[in-house]
Amino acid sequence: MEGRSRKVSPDQRFLGILNTSPFRIAIVYSIAFACGAAALLGAVNFAVSRVVDGSTDNLIEAEVQGLREQVMVLSRSDFIELVEQRSQDQDVRGAVYLMVDPQLRPVAGNVPAWPKIDANEGKWIQFDIQVPYGEETREHEVRARRFPLPGGYRMLVGHDVQERQDVKNLMMRGLIAAVVLTLMIGLGGGLWMGRRILAQAGAISAVATQIMRGDLSQRLPVRGADDEIDRLAREINTMLDKIEQLTLGMRTVLDSAAHDLRTPLNRLQATAEGAMSTLATGSPERRVLERVTSEVDRMRSTLDALLRIALAETGTVAREPVDLSDLVESVVDLYAPVSEERGITLQSSVTPGAQVQGSRQLLAQALANLLDNAIKFTPDGGRIRVQLNQSGAGPEVVVEDTGPGIPADKRELVLGRRVRLDEARKFPGSGLGLSLVAAVTKLHGARLILDDAAPGLRVSLKF
Amino acid sequence: MHILIVEDDEVARDTLAEALREVGHTVEVAADGLEGLSRAASTALDLAIVDRMLPQLDGLALVQSLRATGKKLPVLILSALGEVDDRITGLRAGGDDYLTKPYHMSELLARIDALARRREAAEASTKLKFADLELDRMTRRVTRNGKRIELTAREFQLLEFMMRHSGQVVTRTMLLEGVWDYHFDPQTNVIDVHISRLRQAIDKDFDKPLLHTVRGAGYSLREDE
Repeated sequence: MEGRSRKVSPDQRFLGILNTSPFRIAIVYSIAFACGAAALLGAVNFAVSRVVDGSTDNLIEAEVQGLREQVMVLSRSDFIELVEQRSQDQDVRGAVYLMVDPQLRPVAGNVPAWPKIDANEGKWIQFDIQVPYGEETREHEVRARRFPLPGGYRMLVGHDVQERQDVKNLMMRGLIAAVVLTLMIGLGGGLWMGRRILAQAGAISAVATQIMRGDLSQRLPVRGADDEIDRLAREINTMLDKIEQLTLGMRTVLDSAAHDLRTPLNRLQATAEGAMSTLATGSPERRVLERVTSEVDRMRSTLDALLRIALAETGTVAREPVDLSDLVESVVDLYAPVSEERGITLQSSVTPGAQVQGSRQLLAQALANLLDNAIKFTPDGGRIRVQLNQSGAGPEVVVEDTGPGIPADKRELVLGRRVRLDEARKFPGSGLGLSLVAAVTKLHGARLILDDAAPGLRVSLKF
Repeated sequence: MHILIVEDDEVARDTLAEALREVGHTVEVAADGLEGLSRAASTALDLAIVDRMLPQLDGLALVQSLRATGKKLPVLILSALGEVDDRITGLRAGGDDYLTKPYHMSELLARIDALARRREAAEASTKLKFADLELDRMTRRVTRNGKRIELTAREFQLLEFMMRHSGQVVTRTMLLEGVWDYHFDPQTNVIDVHISRLRQAIDKDFDKPLLHTVRGAGYSLREDE
């Protein structure tokens, strides 16, 4: 309905998206995939590391064994020469050698100094060396095995493992990137799908509101995507076709019933009036006919009310923009002199510019019924207050009186047809007044609240 | 007035014709829509009363056809359908007034008088005058015998309506429709009290009462008793 839609803030919309099932499903899946990717990459990383580490250590161990054998047979100077030879060998990249004397002074090798080693470290040690890169130097990590030589000399043999370390770091970064990317794609996809679903749901909900407000010609949009939402929309539309048919059928029935009751009433009235015109005023015959016409009046009144209620309930009423403020003031003005006559104070405070979409005549009658009741049941000298407030949600009309009110347990009851509480039976009227107010309220998508005005009745129509 | 009644219900038709003749009107009748249309188109009439539900051609279609031929004949539509929307539909089809059954004869008589007068009067004048009562629509001033009378906005509207229908019977329903634009039946005597206020204002300090109550019908602005 063009009239009113609740404005939703961007924050509310965003939260709305988070609450959609596509979004939640997307999150669950992306977390699952992220975990899977992490596990896979982690396992690969671990396996590769182990293999690489293992092979490096084997190389180093083999070299150590070889040198140990050599140290048995070679003289010291020959051994030193051997170590130097190995150190300078350009074919074997990354090999690290260092031989030191008992005072830890370097004797041979390609490492400048014996690294600081903790006492509790085993044969295997890790330390850093500086490697030149053109103008700069970089720190590389080395894994080495130390062992003692005869004469208090020591030796370490190792390998530059920086590359291995670099690969490990690369893999770790790759793993993290993969996880993050998966999550982001999942999140992004979820938000996008959530928005789409929200828009579709919003479209359906908007049409549903229109339909509930009585516009039975509305149908749900079918996007042509042939998914379950489209099928659901089509099925609901078929249902609405049926409802529209039934409602129109009901209207026809009401019209027929109205016609069938009004025609004989009309004849009754016309015949009685025709006869009365020939009789003398005050004659007993005339008085009888006057009673007849008076009853016809009552029947007409009841029929009118029942018909209005039925039509309001089936929602088959034309709508237009209605100036509610104007209407309330106009109805109050209609009842002002009557209230004054009874010594009842009629106060009104109306916020101007309140607008609703609906039927001016039905709303006027509903308000008139409320004021009618208020005046009927408020004792002379009492007070009736009529207010029209505007809040964010919509206008609210309140009619308060200082009459006997309606006990809480009877409030549902009085909105039904023909219910008059015992206290009310002495007053004239058909008992349909509040029933009409309830039907009109519902038709306009408003809420009718009966409350205690302490003392009296407080009726509130919240649009 | 020369009036045509188009009504298929025999009892209703005959009693209505009788009642109209009794007050001096010349009455013709038709029992279905086609006959009604041909009569209305060919006879010089002052007013037509057309029932909505007719055989052959329904009432609204009859009125629409009549209007299509350019006939300005005032038409009162009678209907056994009694809803607000129905009234609007009827007036849109070209009807000048709409009355639902059952109705008081006094109501119908008052309304057809008003319709006839509407045809005659040119609505242009801003000043209304009746007896020694004068009303100016531009300045919103009301005087009687030269003396200024203070009225509320609503009382002014009421008086204006009564003056436009001066000499005629105005029913409570006509007042509710004409002054408040409401189409329902208020249970209490709200209109009566408004009228008595107006009467206080315009009749109290003067010799001749102008605003009279017509028993069983409504009110009238008249010079005689």
